[in-house]
Amino acid sequence: MSYQTSDFRNGLKVETEGSPYTIVYFQFVKPGKGTAFTRTKLKNLLTGAVIDRTYRSGEILEEADVEEQPMQFLYEQQGIYTFMNTETYDQVEIQGTVLADDAKFLIESLEVNVLFYKGRAVNVTLPNFIESKVAWTEPAVKGNTSNNITKNAKLECGAEIQVPIFVKEGELLKVDTRDGGSYVSRL
Amino acid sequence: MHPRRAHVAGDALNPRLLRARGAVLASLRSTLAAEGFLEVQPPVLVQSPALEANIEALPCADGFLHTSPEFALKRVLAAGLPRVYATTPVFRNEESGRHHAREFTMLELYLHNANYLDLIPLVEGLIVSAASAISVATPVFSRTTVAALFGGDVPGDDDDFFRRWVTEIDPTLTAPTWVLDFPARHAALSELRGNVSERLELYVGGLELANGYSELRDGAELRRRFAESARARRAAGRSPHPTDEGVIAASDQFPRTAGIAIGIDRLVMALTGTPDIAEVRIGS
Repeated sequence: MSYQTSDFRNGLKVETEGSPYTIVYFQFVKPGKGTAFTRTKLKNLLTGAVIDRTYRSGEILEEADVEEQPMQFLYEQQGIYTFMNTETYDQVEIQGTVLADDAKFLIESLEVNVLFYKGRAVNVTLPNFIESKVAWTEPAVKGNTSNNITKNAKLECGAEIQVPIFVKEGELLKVDTRDGGSYVSRL
Repeated sequence: MHPRRAHVAGDALNPRLLRARGAVLASLRSTLAAEGFLEVQPPVLVQSPALEANIEALPCADGFLHTSPEFALKRVLAAGLPRVYATTPVFRNEESGRHHAREFTMLELYLHNANYLDLIPLVEGLIVSAASAISVATPVFSRTTVAALFGGDVPGDDDDFFRRWVTEIDPTLTAPTWVLDFPARHAALSELRGNVSERLELYVGGLELANGYSELRDGAELRRRFAESARARRAAGRSPHPTDEGVIAASDQFPRTAGIAIGIDRLVMALTGTPDIAEVRIGS
Protein backbone atom coordinates (compact mmCIF):
# COMPACT_ATOMS: atom_id res chain seq x y z
CA MET A 1 0.00 0.00 0.00
CA SER A 2 1.31 3.46 -0.87
CA TYR A 3 -0.08 6.94 -0.44
CA GLN A 4 -0.12 10.00 -2.70
CA THR A 5 -0.03 13.48 -1.21
CA SER A 6 -3.78 13.76 -1.84
CA ASP A 7 -4.31 10.74 0.48
CA PHE A 8 -2.54 12.46 3.40
CA ARG A 9 -4.63 12.57 6.57
CA ASN A 10 -3.78 13.04 10.21
CA GLY A 11 -2.97 9.68 11.77
CA LEU A 12 -1.82 8.08 8.51
CA LYS A 13 1.21 5.83 9.15
CA VAL A 14 3.96 6.25 6.55
CA GLU A 15 7.48 4.94 6.05
CA THR A 16 10.21 7.44 5.23
CA GLU A 17 13.96 7.73 5.80
CA GLY A 18 14.04 4.25 7.32
CA SER A 19 11.51 4.83 10.09
CA PRO A 20 7.76 4.66 10.60
CA TYR A 21 6.01 8.00 11.05
CA THR A 22 2.48 9.17 11.66
CA ILE A 23 1.18 12.33 9.99
CA VAL A 24 0.27 14.82 12.72
CA TYR A 25 -0.28 17.87 10.44
CA PHE A 26 -0.69 18.42 6.72
CA GLN A 27 -1.36 21.47 4.60
CA PHE A 28 -1.89 21.83 0.85
CA VAL A 29 0.20 24.74 -0.46
CA LYS A 30 0.49 26.07 -3.99
CA PRO A 31 2.11 29.28 -5.19
CA GLY A 32 -0.19 30.90 -7.79
CA LYS A 33 2.20 30.29 -10.68
CA GLY A 34 3.88 27.26 -9.19
CA THR A 35 3.44 23.58 -8.56
CA ALA A 36 1.49 22.18 -5.62
CA PHE A 37 3.08 20.81 -2.46
CA THR A 38 1.87 19.35 0.81
CA ARG A 39 3.60 20.54 3.97
CA THR A 40 3.61 17.96 6.74
CA LYS A 41 4.71 17.38 10.31
CA LEU A 42 5.61 13.73 10.86
CA LYS A 43 5.99 12.09 14.25
CA ASN A 44 8.50 9.26 14.48
CA LEU A 45 6.70 6.26 15.96
CA LEU A 46 9.93 4.92 17.49
CA THR A 47 11.37 8.07 19.04
CA GLY A 48 8.44 10.48 19.22
CA ALA A 49 10.51 13.15 17.42
CA VAL A 50 8.54 15.42 15.08
CA ILE A 51 10.05 16.46 11.73
CA ASP A 52 8.89 18.88 9.00
CA ARG A 53 8.75 17.50 5.48
CA THR A 54 7.31 19.03 2.29
CA TYR A 55 6.20 16.77 -0.56
CA ARG A 56 5.51 17.75 -4.13
CA SER A 57 2.03 16.74 -5.34
CA GLY A 58 2.27 13.29 -6.86
CA GLU A 59 5.13 12.13 -4.65
CA ILE A 60 4.41 8.76 -3.08
CA LEU A 61 5.05 7.46 0.44
CA GLU A 62 4.82 3.82 1.40
CA GLU A 63 2.53 2.74 4.19
CA ALA A 64 4.54 2.00 7.35
CA ASP A 65 4.53 -1.69 8.30
CA VAL A 66 3.12 -1.00 11.74
CA GLU A 67 0.28 -2.59 13.65
CA GLU A 68 -1.13 -1.86 17.07
CA GLN A 69 -2.44 -4.80 19.11
CA PRO A 70 -4.41 -4.74 22.36
CA MET A 71 -2.45 -6.82 24.89
CA GLN A 72 -2.52 -7.74 28.54
CA PHE A 73 0.55 -7.76 30.80
CA LEU A 74 1.22 -11.24 32.22
CA TYR A 75 4.56 -11.25 34.09
CA GLU A 76 8.15 -10.06 34.14
CA GLN A 77 11.19 -12.29 34.42
CA GLN A 78 14.78 -11.01 34.40
CA GLY A 79 13.93 -7.82 32.53
CA ILE A 80 11.76 -9.59 29.93
CA TYR A 81 8.09 -8.61 30.01
CA THR A 82 5.52 -11.06 28.67
CA PHE A 83 2.25 -9.80 27.19
CA MET A 84 -0.72 -11.66 25.71
CA ASN A 85 -2.89 -10.54 22.82
CA THR A 86 -6.39 -10.29 24.28
CA GLU A 87 -7.98 -11.36 20.97
CA THR A 88 -5.69 -14.13 19.67
CA TYR A 89 -4.06 -15.15 23.02
CA ASP A 90 -0.67 -14.99 21.27
CA GLN A 91 2.12 -14.13 23.68
CA VAL A 92 5.03 -11.77 23.04
CA GLU A 93 8.16 -11.04 25.07
CA ILE A 94 9.28 -7.44 25.22
CA GLN A 95 12.65 -6.18 26.47
CA GLY A 96 12.55 -3.83 29.42
CA THR A 97 14.44 -1.26 27.34
CA VAL A 98 11.35 -0.85 25.11
CA LEU A 99 9.22 -0.06 28.16
CA ALA A 100 11.84 2.14 29.82
CA ASP A 101 10.31 4.06 32.71
CA ASP A 102 6.77 2.82 31.94
CA ALA A 103 7.65 -0.63 33.34
CA LYS A 104 6.99 0.64 36.86
CA PHE A 105 3.24 0.94 36.12
CA LEU A 106 2.81 -2.66 34.93
CA ILE A 107 0.51 -4.71 37.11
CA GLU A 108 -0.80 -8.14 36.22
CA SER A 109 -3.59 -8.06 33.58
CA LEU A 110 -3.08 -4.37 32.79
CA GLU A 111 -4.39 -3.75 29.26
CA VAL A 112 -2.00 -1.89 26.99
CA ASN A 113 -1.49 -1.28 23.28
CA VAL A 114 1.65 -2.74 21.76
CA LEU A 115 3.00 -1.25 18.52
CA PHE A 116 4.69 -3.69 16.15
CA TYR A 117 7.01 -2.38 13.40
CA LYS A 118 7.95 -4.96 10.79
CA GLY A 119 6.73 -7.61 13.21
CA ARG A 120 8.86 -6.39 16.15
CA ALA A 121 7.34 -4.85 19.29
CA VAL A 122 8.71 -1.32 19.42
CA ASN A 123 6.43 0.61 21.73
CA VAL A 124 3.94 -0.01 24.54
CA THR A 125 1.17 2.53 25.21
CA LEU A 126 -0.20 2.42 28.73
CA PRO A 127 -3.74 3.41 29.63
CA ASN A 128 -3.89 7.06 30.75
CA PHE A 129 -4.88 5.96 34.26
CA ILE A 130 -4.06 2.90 36.33
CA GLU A 131 -5.24 1.76 39.74
CA SER A 132 -2.76 0.51 42.32
CA LYS A 133 -2.66 0.04 46.09
CA VAL A 134 -0.27 1.93 48.35
CA ALA A 135 2.39 -0.57 49.47
CA TRP A 136 4.24 1.86 51.70
CA THR A 137 3.93 5.44 52.86
CA GLU A 138 4.52 7.46 56.01
CA PRO A 139 1.59 7.44 58.43
CA ALA A 140 -1.34 9.66 57.48
CA VAL A 141 -1.72 13.00 59.17
CA LYS A 142 -5.24 13.25 60.57
CA GLY A 143 -7.34 16.26 59.76
CA ASN A 144 -5.17 17.49 56.92
CA THR A 145 -7.22 17.19 53.71
CA SER A 146 -5.11 19.54 51.62
CA ASN A 147 -3.84 18.19 48.29
CA ASN A 148 -1.00 20.69 48.33
CA ILE A 149 1.18 19.05 50.96
CA THR A 150 2.55 15.75 49.68
CA LYS A 151 4.69 12.82 50.77
CA ASN A 152 6.34 9.82 49.08
CA ALA A 153 4.39 6.64 48.48
CA LYS A 154 5.44 3.34 46.93
CA LEU A 155 2.69 1.59 44.98
CA GLU A 156 2.22 -2.16 44.57
CA CYS A 157 2.94 -1.85 40.82
CA GLY A 158 6.39 -0.54 41.71
CA ALA A 159 5.96 3.16 40.96
CA GLU A 160 6.92 5.76 43.51
CA ILE A 161 4.75 8.85 43.43
CA GLN A 162 3.85 11.89 45.49
CA VAL A 163 0.52 11.61 47.31
CA PRO A 164 -1.45 13.96 49.59
CA ILE A 165 -0.55 13.68 53.22
CA PHE A 166 -3.87 11.99 54.21
CA VAL A 167 -3.26 8.87 52.06
CA LYS A 168 -2.85 5.62 54.05
CA GLU A 169 -1.09 2.31 53.30
CA GLY A 170 -3.39 -0.22 51.65
CA GLU A 171 -5.60 2.40 50.01
CA LEU A 172 -6.39 2.00 46.28
CA LEU A 173 -5.32 5.03 44.22
CA LYS A 174 -6.05 6.27 40.70
CA VAL A 175 -2.79 7.37 39.05
CA ASP A 176 -2.13 9.30 35.83
CA THR A 177 0.62 7.53 33.85
CA ARG A 178 1.20 10.26 31.26
CA ASP A 179 3.48 12.50 33.30
CA GLY A 180 5.60 9.83 34.93
CA GLY A 181 2.97 9.11 37.58
CA SER A 182 0.79 11.55 39.45
CA TYR A 183 -1.90 11.08 42.09
CA VAL A 184 -5.47 11.62 40.85
CA SER A 185 -7.74 10.34 43.63
CA ARG A 186 -8.49 7.63 46.20
CA LEU A 187 -10.89 4.92 45.05
CA MET B 1 -6.82 14.18 -8.04
CA HIS B 2 -7.81 15.92 -4.88
CA PRO B 3 -11.02 14.68 -3.34
CA ARG B 4 -13.60 17.33 -2.60
CA ARG B 5 -13.31 18.87 0.80
CA ALA B 6 -15.71 16.88 2.95
CA HIS B 7 -18.90 18.80 3.60
CA VAL B 8 -20.00 18.21 7.14
CA ALA B 9 -23.75 18.27 7.61
CA GLY B 10 -24.63 21.19 9.82
CA ASP B 11 -21.42 23.09 8.96
CA ALA B 12 -22.41 26.36 10.59
CA LEU B 13 -22.16 29.56 8.59
CA ASN B 14 -20.51 32.34 10.51
CA PRO B 15 -22.74 35.47 10.39
CA ARG B 16 -19.92 37.71 11.65
CA LEU B 17 -17.62 36.64 8.79
CA LEU B 18 -20.38 36.82 6.16
CA ARG B 19 -21.13 40.39 7.31
CA ALA B 20 -17.43 41.26 7.15
CA ARG B 21 -17.18 39.77 3.67
CA GLY B 22 -20.16 41.77 2.43
CA ALA B 23 -18.75 44.95 3.95
CA VAL B 24 -15.32 44.32 2.36
CA LEU B 25 -16.91 43.80 -1.07
CA ALA B 26 -19.08 46.89 -0.72
CA SER B 27 -16.03 48.93 0.31
CA LEU B 28 -13.92 47.67 -2.64
CA ARG B 29 -16.71 48.51 -5.10
CA SER B 30 -17.28 51.94 -3.62
CA THR B 31 -13.55 52.80 -3.66
CA LEU B 32 -13.23 51.59 -7.25
CA ALA B 33 -16.32 53.53 -8.34
CA ALA B 34 -14.88 56.67 -6.74
CA GLU B 35 -11.64 56.06 -8.69
CA GLY B 36 -13.61 55.87 -11.94
CA PHE B 37 -13.50 52.09 -12.50
CA LEU B 38 -16.33 50.39 -14.36
CA GLU B 39 -17.48 46.97 -13.20
CA VAL B 40 -18.02 44.51 -16.05
CA GLN B 41 -19.21 40.91 -16.05
CA PRO B 42 -16.95 38.42 -17.82
CA PRO B 43 -18.21 35.02 -18.96
CA VAL B 44 -17.57 32.16 -16.53
CA LEU B 45 -17.86 29.40 -19.15
CA VAL B 46 -15.03 29.85 -21.68
CA GLN B 47 -13.15 27.99 -24.41
CA SER B 48 -9.65 28.86 -23.22
CA PRO B 49 -9.39 28.95 -19.43
CA ALA B 50 -5.84 30.23 -18.82
CA LEU B 51 -2.25 30.51 -19.90
CA GLU B 52 -0.92 28.52 -16.98
CA ALA B 53 1.41 25.55 -16.76
CA ASN B 54 0.41 24.72 -13.17
CA ILE B 55 -3.28 25.52 -12.89
CA GLU B 56 -5.95 22.95 -13.71
CA ALA B 57 -9.17 24.32 -15.17
CA LEU B 58 -12.45 22.58 -14.48
CA PRO B 59 -13.96 21.21 -17.73
CA CYS B 60 -17.61 22.19 -18.20
CA ALA B 61 -19.97 21.49 -21.12
CA ASP B 62 -17.90 22.06 -24.31
CA GLY B 63 -15.35 24.30 -22.55
CA PHE B 64 -14.01 25.18 -19.13
CA LEU B 65 -14.94 27.31 -16.15
CA HIS B 66 -12.54 30.25 -16.19
CA THR B 67 -9.57 30.29 -13.79
CA SER B 68 -9.46 34.10 -13.96
CA PRO B 69 -11.33 36.73 -16.03
CA GLU B 70 -8.09 37.96 -17.63
CA PHE B 71 -8.75 37.12 -21.29
CA ALA B 72 -12.26 38.60 -21.34
CA LEU B 73 -11.18 41.76 -19.51
CA LYS B 74 -8.37 42.36 -22.03
CA ARG B 75 -10.94 42.27 -24.81
CA VAL B 76 -12.85 44.93 -22.84
CA LEU B 77 -9.65 47.02 -22.62
CA ALA B 78 -9.16 46.69 -26.38
CA ALA B 79 -12.77 47.79 -26.92
CA GLY B 80 -11.86 51.17 -25.44
CA LEU B 81 -12.87 50.77 -21.79
CA PRO B 82 -9.45 51.04 -20.16
CA ARG B 83 -10.32 51.30 -16.45
CA VAL B 84 -12.39 48.25 -15.60
CA TYR B 85 -12.74 45.49 -13.05
CA ALA B 86 -14.72 42.33 -12.42
CA THR B 87 -15.68 40.51 -9.25
CA THR B 88 -16.30 36.90 -10.17
CA PRO B 89 -16.18 33.32 -9.00
CA VAL B 90 -13.23 31.48 -10.55
CA PHE B 91 -12.46 27.76 -10.52
CA ARG B 92 -9.26 25.79 -10.10
CA ASN B 93 -9.44 22.05 -9.98
CA GLU B 94 -7.19 19.97 -7.69
CA GLU B 95 -6.79 22.81 -5.19
CA SER B 96 -8.28 22.27 -1.79
CA GLY B 97 -7.12 22.89 1.76
CA ARG B 98 -7.32 25.50 4.47
CA HIS B 99 -5.99 28.15 2.06
CA HIS B 100 -7.40 26.85 -1.21
CA ALA B 101 -10.91 26.26 -2.49
CA ARG B 102 -11.85 24.84 -5.87
CA GLU B 103 -14.25 27.75 -6.34
CA PHE B 104 -13.15 31.11 -4.98
CA THR B 105 -13.85 34.79 -5.63
CA MET B 106 -11.50 37.08 -7.53
CA LEU B 107 -11.49 40.81 -8.02
CA GLU B 108 -9.44 41.63 -11.11
CA LEU B 109 -8.85 45.25 -12.12
CA TYR B 110 -7.04 47.08 -14.92
CA LEU B 111 -5.46 50.51 -14.67
CA HIS B 112 -4.48 52.27 -17.94
CA ASN B 113 -1.39 54.42 -18.53
CA ALA B 114 0.24 52.53 -15.70
CA ASN B 115 2.87 49.92 -14.93
CA TYR B 116 2.96 47.33 -12.15
CA LEU B 117 4.36 49.76 -9.56
CA ASP B 118 1.29 51.98 -10.00
CA LEU B 119 -0.87 49.10 -8.75
CA ILE B 120 0.72 49.26 -5.30
CA PRO B 121 -0.80 52.54 -4.02
CA LEU B 122 -4.14 51.71 -5.64
CA VAL B 123 -4.42 48.28 -4.00
CA GLU B 124 -3.07 49.50 -0.66
CA GLY B 125 -5.78 52.18 -0.73
CA LEU B 126 -8.45 49.55 -1.49
CA ILE B 127 -7.30 47.35 1.40
CA VAL B 128 -6.92 50.22 3.88
CA SER B 129 -10.48 51.37 3.08
CA ALA B 130 -11.80 47.80 3.42
CA ALA B 131 -10.03 47.42 6.78
CA SER B 132 -11.58 50.66 7.94
CA ALA B 133 -15.03 49.51 6.73
CA ILE B 134 -14.90 46.55 9.11
CA SER B 135 -13.05 48.45 11.86
CA VAL B 136 -9.80 46.52 11.87
CA ALA B 137 -6.33 48.03 12.27
CA THR B 138 -4.86 49.74 9.21
CA PRO B 139 -2.33 47.37 7.60
CA VAL B 140 1.20 48.65 6.93
CA PHE B 141 2.86 47.38 3.75
CA SER B 142 6.48 46.79 2.81
CA ARG B 143 8.21 45.85 -0.46
CA THR B 144 10.90 43.39 -1.46
CA THR B 145 12.04 41.52 -4.55
CA VAL B 146 12.28 37.83 -5.41
CA ALA B 147 16.06 38.21 -5.72
CA ALA B 148 16.32 39.75 -2.24
CA LEU B 149 14.20 36.96 -0.72
CA PHE B 150 16.55 34.36 -2.20
CA GLY B 151 19.61 36.29 -0.99
CA GLY B 152 20.57 37.21 -4.55
CA ASP B 153 20.71 33.60 -5.72
CA VAL B 154 17.37 32.78 -7.39
CA PRO B 155 17.16 29.05 -8.24
CA GLY B 156 17.10 28.45 -11.98
CA ASP B 157 15.25 25.19 -11.61
CA ASP B 158 11.50 25.44 -11.06
CA ASP B 159 11.20 22.51 -8.68
CA ASP B 160 13.96 23.96 -6.51
CA PHE B 161 12.46 27.48 -6.78
CA PHE B 162 8.97 26.49 -5.67
CA ARG B 163 10.11 24.00 -3.02
CA ARG B 164 12.23 26.70 -1.38
CA TRP B 165 9.41 29.20 -1.90
CA VAL B 166 6.88 27.13 0.06
CA THR B 167 9.28 25.90 2.75
CA GLU B 168 11.61 28.86 3.37
CA ILE B 169 10.09 31.99 1.89
CA ASP B 170 6.34 32.29 2.02
CA PRO B 171 6.11 31.29 5.71
CA THR B 172 8.23 34.38 6.48
CA LEU B 173 5.94 36.77 4.57
CA THR B 174 3.55 37.31 7.46
CA ALA B 175 3.38 41.12 7.54
CA PRO B 176 1.79 42.64 4.39
CA THR B 177 4.58 42.48 1.79
CA TRP B 178 4.77 43.23 -1.92
CA VAL B 179 7.13 40.84 -3.71
CA LEU B 180 8.38 42.27 -7.02
CA ASP B 181 10.21 41.04 -10.12
CA PHE B 182 9.66 37.33 -10.63
CA PRO B 183 11.90 35.32 -12.96
CA ALA B 184 11.10 35.83 -16.65
CA ARG B 185 9.96 32.21 -16.97
CA HIS B 186 7.14 32.95 -14.46
CA ALA B 187 6.03 36.00 -16.46
CA ALA B 188 2.55 34.73 -17.39
CA LEU B 189 1.14 37.65 -19.45
CA SER B 190 3.45 40.33 -18.09
CA GLU B 191 6.08 42.57 -19.67
CA LEU B 192 9.69 41.51 -19.31
CA ARG B 193 12.47 43.82 -18.14
CA GLY B 194 15.83 42.15 -18.66
CA ASN B 195 15.74 38.75 -16.96
CA VAL B 196 12.77 39.55 -14.72
CA SER B 197 9.08 40.06 -15.35
CA GLU B 198 7.32 43.22 -14.20
CA ARG B 199 5.11 41.12 -11.99
CA LEU B 200 4.32 41.41 -8.28
CA GLU B 201 2.47 39.45 -5.65
CA LEU B 202 1.08 40.67 -2.34
CA TYR B 203 1.59 38.40 0.70
CA VAL B 204 -0.15 38.63 4.06
CA GLY B 205 0.07 35.98 6.76
CA GLY B 206 2.23 33.78 4.51
CA LEU B 207 -0.55 33.73 1.91
CA GLU B 208 -0.56 35.15 -1.60
CA LEU B 209 -3.38 37.70 -1.70
CA ALA B 210 -2.86 39.30 -5.09
CA ASN B 211 -0.93 38.90 -8.33
CA GLY B 212 -0.43 41.77 -10.77
CA TYR B 213 1.74 42.96 -13.62
CA SER B 214 2.58 45.37 -16.38
CA GLU B 215 0.47 43.85 -19.13
CA LEU B 216 2.18 42.39 -22.18
CA ARG B 217 1.02 44.25 -25.34
CA ASP B 218 2.49 42.06 -28.05
CA GLY B 219 0.22 39.49 -29.69
CA ALA B 220 3.09 37.63 -31.36
CA GLU B 221 4.97 37.25 -28.06
CA LEU B 222 1.73 36.15 -26.39
CA ARG B 223 1.21 33.49 -29.08
CA ARG B 224 4.74 32.25 -28.38
CA ARG B 225 3.93 32.02 -24.63
CA PHE B 226 0.75 30.03 -25.35
CA ALA B 227 2.88 27.55 -27.32
CA GLU B 228 5.49 27.40 -24.56
CA SER B 229 2.82 26.82 -21.89
CA ALA B 230 1.27 24.06 -24.02
CA ARG B 231 4.70 22.39 -24.31
CA ALA B 232 5.23 22.61 -20.54
CA ARG B 233 1.79 21.12 -19.91
CA ARG B 234 2.39 18.23 -22.31
CA ALA B 235 5.80 17.59 -20.71
CA ALA B 236 4.08 17.42 -17.28
CA GLY B 237 1.50 14.97 -18.65
CA ARG B 238 -1.31 17.54 -18.65
CA SER B 239 -3.46 18.39 -21.63
CA PRO B 240 -2.64 21.82 -23.12
CA HIS B 241 -5.17 24.62 -22.84
CA PRO B 242 -6.41 26.04 -26.18
CA THR B 243 -4.78 29.24 -27.43
CA ASP B 244 -7.15 32.20 -27.01
CA GLU B 245 -7.17 34.18 -30.27
CA GLY B 246 -9.34 36.91 -28.68
CA VAL B 247 -6.74 37.87 -26.10
CA ILE B 248 -3.92 37.68 -28.68
CA ALA B 249 -5.77 40.16 -30.94
CA ALA B 250 -6.67 42.37 -27.96
CA SER B 251 -3.06 42.50 -26.76
CA ASP B 252 -2.03 44.47 -29.84
CA GLN B 253 -4.77 47.02 -29.25
CA PHE B 254 -5.13 48.10 -25.63
CA PRO B 255 -3.09 51.00 -24.18
CA ARG B 256 -0.26 50.67 -21.65
CA THR B 257 -1.97 48.96 -18.73
CA ALA B 258 -1.30 47.29 -15.40
CA GLY B 259 -3.67 44.69 -13.99
CA ILE B 260 -4.02 42.81 -10.74
CA ALA B 261 -6.18 40.02 -9.35
CA ILE B 262 -7.05 39.99 -5.65
CA GLY B 263 -8.33 36.89 -3.87
CA ILE B 264 -11.39 38.14 -2.01
CA ASP B 265 -11.66 35.11 0.27
CA ARG B 266 -8.03 35.44 1.39
CA LEU B 267 -8.41 39.20 1.80
CA VAL B 268 -11.35 38.60 4.17
CA MET B 269 -9.30 35.89 5.95
CA ALA B 270 -6.36 38.30 6.37
CA LEU B 271 -8.51 41.21 7.57
CA THR B 272 -10.49 39.10 10.03
CA GLY B 273 -7.68 36.77 11.15
CA THR B 274 -9.53 33.68 9.92
CA PRO B 275 -7.28 30.63 9.32
CA ASP B 276 -9.56 28.52 7.11
CA ILE B 277 -10.98 29.65 3.76
CA ALA B 278 -14.10 27.55 4.35
CA GLU B 279 -15.08 29.89 7.17
CA VAL B 280 -15.34 32.96 4.93
CA ARG B 281 -17.35 31.24 2.18
CA ILE B 282 -20.77 29.69 1.87
CA GLY B 283 -19.76 26.09 1.21
CA SER B 284 -21.43 24.11 -1.59
